[in-house]
Amino acid sequence: MSESGGPDVTSELRLPWDDDPEDLYEHAPCGYLTTLPDGTIVRVNETFLTWTGYARTDLVGHRRFRDLLAVGDRMYYETVYAPLLMMQSEVHEIALEVVGQDGRRLPTLVNSVLERGPGESPRIIRTMVLNATERRSYERELLTARRAAESSEQRVRVLQQIVADLAAAPTEAEVAEAVVRAPEPGFEAASSSIYLVDVERDQLVAVASTDPTTGNWDDMPRSSQRAVAEVARRGDLHVVATVDEAREHFPDLAETMTRSGRSTVVLLPLTTGPVEEPDGVTVLGVLAFSFREERVLDDAELTVIRLLGQQAGQALDRARLYDDARRREEQAGFLARTTRSLDEEHRLLQRARRLVERVVPEIADWASVRLQVGPAGLLESAGGPPPEAALLAGRIAEATSTAGPVWAADGDGLGCTVLPLTARGRVLGTLALRMAPDRRGIEAERLFLIDLADRAGLALENARLYEQERAIARTLQRSLLAADVPGGDPRFAVESYYQAAAQDLEVGGDWFDAFLITPNRLAVVVGDVVGRGIEAATTMGQLRSAIRALASGEHGPARLIEQLDRFCEREEAARMATVVYAEIDLLHGEMTYTCAGHLPPLLHEPAGSPQYLLQARSAPIGSRAGDRRRTEQKVRLASGSRLLLYTDGLVERRGRPIDRGFEVLAREYARRRDAPLKGLTAGLADTMVGRDHADDVCLLCITLGTEERLERSIGADPLQIALLRADLRGWLAGHSVDTDCLNAVLLACSEAVANAIEHGYRDDPFGVVDVTATVSEDAVEVRVTDRGTWRGTGAGFTRGRGLQLIEEAMDEVLFDRGDGTTVIMRRQRGGEL
Amino acid sequence: MTDQWVSFSRRGVAELVHLKGEIDLANANDIGRAIVARTTGANAVLIDLTAVSFLDSAGVRLLDFIVGDLDDRGKPIRLVVGERGAARMTLQLCAFRTDLLTTDLERAAAELDG
Repeated sequence: MSESGGPDVTSELRLPWDDDPEDLYEHAPCGYLTTLPDGTIVRVNETFLTWTGYARTDLVGHRRFRDLLAVGDRMYYETVYAPLLMMQSEVHEIALEVVGQDGRRLPTLVNSVLERGPGESPRIIRTMVLNATERRSYERELLTARRAAESSEQRVRVLQQIVADLAAAPTEAEVAEAVVRAPEPGFEAASSSIYLVDVERDQLVAVASTDPTTGNWDDMPRSSQRAVAEVARRGDLHVVATVDEAREHFPDLAETMTRSGRSTVVLLPLTTGPVEEPDGVTVLGVLAFSFREERVLDDAELTVIRLLGQQAGQALDRARLYDDARRREEQAGFLARTTRSLDEEHRLLQRARRLVERVVPEIADWASVRLQVGPAGLLESAGGPPPEAALLAGRIAEATSTAGPVWAADGDGLGCTVLPLTARGRVLGTLALRMAPDRRGIEAERLFLIDLADRAGLALENARLYEQERAIARTLQRSLLAADVPGGDPRFAVESYYQAAAQDLEVGGDWFDAFLITPNRLAVVVGDVVGRGIEAATTMGQLRSAIRALASGEHGPARLIEQLDRFCEREEAARMATVVYAEIDLLHGEMTYTCAGHLPPLLHEPAGSPQYLLQARSAPIGSRAGDRRRTEQKVRLASGSRLLLYTDGLVERRGRPIDRGFEVLAREYARRRDAPLKGLTAGLADTMVGRDHADDVCLLCITLGTEERLERSIGADPLQIALLRADLRGWLAGHSVDTDCLNAVLLACSEAVANAIEHGYRDDPFGVVDVTATVSEDAVEVRVTDRGTWRGTGAGFTRGRGLQLIEEAMDEVLFDRGDGTTVIMRRQRGGEL
Repeated sequence: MTDQWVSFSRRGVAELVHLKGEIDLANANDIGRAIVARTTGANAVLIDLTAVSFLDSAGVRLLDFIVGDLDDRGKPIRLVVGERGAARMTLQLCAFRTDLLTTDLERAAAELDG
């Protein structure tokens, strides 16, 4: 058949697709099995034997197909495969694992057909076994991928939740709390802890943990050899995969891992700043979490963990800014409130008191202010218990001498910060505080305290200056008021009174004066300068001097006020001062007065009721709007007249119309007609305004001439005897009674009044003693009358001595016992004792 | 409280008490307490009454008590009064022992020292 003459192999060759059926069976790309209905293998092809490693003789007639299956699949064979085959006569693509002779498992897919004989009885089963190794591993990959996707999704969900929590956490503590909860749901960690960096103290501080029984909770310096500090310094994630690895690098960590039963630890720095620049990253803390078993973390997990570190770091950074901002806001609020509160008090002591009361308990549990003022200094404390005195004294001395704050330090045994209180470069004193230790914001806290001390120092210095000015003004005012008011002249007597405002206000500009212009001309004046304090006191002094200089006795009061109008062109502070000014001719008993914007004088003549002198009125000194035509009025004063000059503080009272004030004053003044002059003005002020009044009060009362007959009524109070004596002494002198007689009458009268008070009114504190004195050319007669009940007259030695003195001092003594007792005493003038 | 009426100093061995102003029923007890507090252990006492402008029986009672106390303890006391004046008058009216009264502070002090 071959044209080329080569061997004719045509008959030898089979066509490639013309396989030998037997060979085809044996070496088919799948396994073939023929089994009896009970599964016993009766025929098997070579492919199956090659896959499983069995010899044909091992199987044929000896093994059932199910014997070759894995244990789990045998169950499946019995419960699914066999019944299905019996019912349907065929099954397809059943996945079964065949166990080879060496135990290796071969994943397969099996198709079987049941052939039936006559009568439909099962005859044989033909089974085709396809090698599914590739397919199964592909399926497994699919499954793994799905599981990985699922767990990654879970992690992402956890992370998303944490990011949401972090965003909502306003404080550092809450951020830490949110972060420390992440690793357990996110990575199936057993527990986790968080450490935060305290930059100011250069430390790492453990702040939260899901299992505080693990780990080492001591604060550590950032330079520590411990694993957490190392990772914080490096700023990169570190996984300690095994205890052995830990033992090699971090013995401290290996120890805690062994103790807590941990096999893998992840140390994650919490960072902020650009990740791409390693040096630009700031580590704010470290999150440490651990696993009981050794845990291998894949790249995806490590990525997510790093992401967590950055998210947490940013949240911490933001929370710290918030914390700082909030703290600053609170501190600013405290400073503002404190400054306001201090401003409400003017006095130094009260301000110091208020300062410590503001500080405790708001920022400290104990505080004290010490000021180097006055001979004894000033000390105000609040809170407690007080710290150890000697240690504190040392610290105060240090702060004072260096003029710088001395800060409390851990374990210094005192726990107190001492701040110097300075103003105008001078250390005024110190503020010592004991505050709860704060882990964070120490620098900010210090700035705050320095600010507080600055403000307090200024406020206290201002109070000190105020105090000083007030003292100067008072001294100035007192010295001016007390100066040389004439006395000892029988033709007149002057009684004055000045009462400063009860509240802590500055001194006012009220003043009085009385002086002799000529030997027979007396000037009296009461005035009120606008304003308060040292300026008002100074102006008052100038006006007072101006009036003394201008009073000539020739021009009269109206002219003098005109000159004062000109004076205040130069002395602006004197403008709008009010003045009542009167000149009294002592020879003729005539007074000339003028009222420049001042309240009218009140005159009480021996007969009749008190009258306000309402003439000669004009505007205050230097007034631009008021009537400045100065006029004056003359008025005759009978001997024994009393004239009262006063400032508005006496009649003005809140909630009472001023006319009512005038009425009350006139009534009270009349009621005291018979009271001794001494003490009259003080008594009036007391009745009219009491002790608690808002304004200064200034009064001047003059009695003119000598009464022919002295009549006085005094209360049953030993203190009144001296007041009576003053009047009596003046009256006797006015009548030119000689000294010996005068002293004798004073003594006898005092003893008689004392007797009346001690015996007559022993049980009646409201009793009244009447004293009447008359003088003639040759004798003085005094009557002392009480309406009390005398008991045990003359019984006691002491009163006995009093009576004896009366008898000795006077020439004649009579006792008239009726309703009460009247002692009538008479003493010759000019006689010898 | 009693500073306006009484002040103290030393003159040799003697406690020197200066009184001034008006001494009467109203203030005698307080003044007496202030004086006794200073003189109760003194070896000699001088009371200067030259600046006293009024003295009543309550004042006399006070002086009487102090003199009695010093006498009981055997210690000397002198009252210095002016040639004239309210205090001398009252004490004379009460017939105080003349050996107690003197007008010369310096001589009285010298006597007490001697």
